[in-house]
Amino acid sequence: MDQTDRRLIIELERGIPLTDEPFAEIGLRLGITEDEVILRIRRLREEGIIRKIRARINQRQIGIMANALVAWKPPEGWSGHEELASKPGVSHCYLREPVPGRWEYMIYTVHHKRSRNEVYEEVRSIADEIGVTDYIVLFSTEELKRLPAVRIDDSTEDLR
Amino acid sequence: MQVDRIDLLILDALQEDLPLVPRPFEMIADRIGITSADLLRHIEHLQEMGILRGITPVLESRSLGLHAGTLVALHVPDEKADWTIEIINSYPEISHNYRREHHYSLWFTISAPTHERISRILGEIQEKAGLPDEDILNLPTIRSYKIDVRFDCRMEDADGSD
Repeated sequence: MDQTDRRLIIELERGIPLTDEPFAEIGLRLGITEDEVILRIRRLREEGIIRKIRARINQRQIGIMANALVAWKPPEGWSGHEELASKPGVSHCYLREPVPGRWEYMIYTVHHKRSRNEVYEEVRSIADEIGVTDYIVLFSTEELKRLPAVRIDDSTEDLR
Repeated sequence: MQVDRIDLLILDALQEDLPLVPRPFEMIADRIGITSADLLRHIEHLQEMGILRGITPVLESRSLGLHAGTLVALHVPDEKADWTIEIINSYPEISHNYRREHHYSLWFTISAPTHERISRILGEIQEKAGLPDEDILNLPTIRSYKIDVRFDCRMEDADGSD
């Protein structure tokens, strides 16, 4: 990544301009051509630095009110991680270290639905399919902070 | 809620990777069957209503040097909650923080270049908020199997059958 790539990412993080030719607009701001903007984004994507460019949505505003983190404690020797992650209702799936004796859950998934009942139903059916009976559903009641997890800080241009 | 069927189609379409062509909105508008001027008007409206937070890149943490991550849960008594939330949210390394219905009521994620940096942040939070060890769960990421946030934007009156 060179300096132009970094400036490009910072521009993209401000949000794609809402105009017919957004890449030309970004090029104008950076002093490069539209073609170069598109080529650079394509390269950053191929290199796996940009995974995707997409809308960030405040899902509560469209009625998706039940947002749950589910912590799972699979039985010894269980190996259904990939299967669990592949379920369509699962937006995130992580393996984490437990806190021995205090918190034995190791797998975490995130689910978003219109109602708590829908989440419970989905989680129950996943639990049946993957053979894990020990889990806990943690509904969020308030969003206190939500930013893209990975970003290049605008003000300092430092990587955080 | 002033969201119509077109808005929902747009939200659905914009959750796909943006086409890397000179006129990406025209391409999306064609797919939905509206003009690009209409599409942009709807998008602006969705942004004003706070439904759309912007069209932005999803960056890969490891390629940008963020090699360590964790999920932290805290048990915080009510009278300390506001202060503790303020401390937590002040760290740029902390991107997500939610209140959840549980004895451990605050759940947040930290990502940083190293585990040492994460330990230091966690130590500072514990000290500033005055939390005992037993009120903290630190759950470091071993492996990520999936990160693919996508909301089903179909109408509420949809029957829910998949």
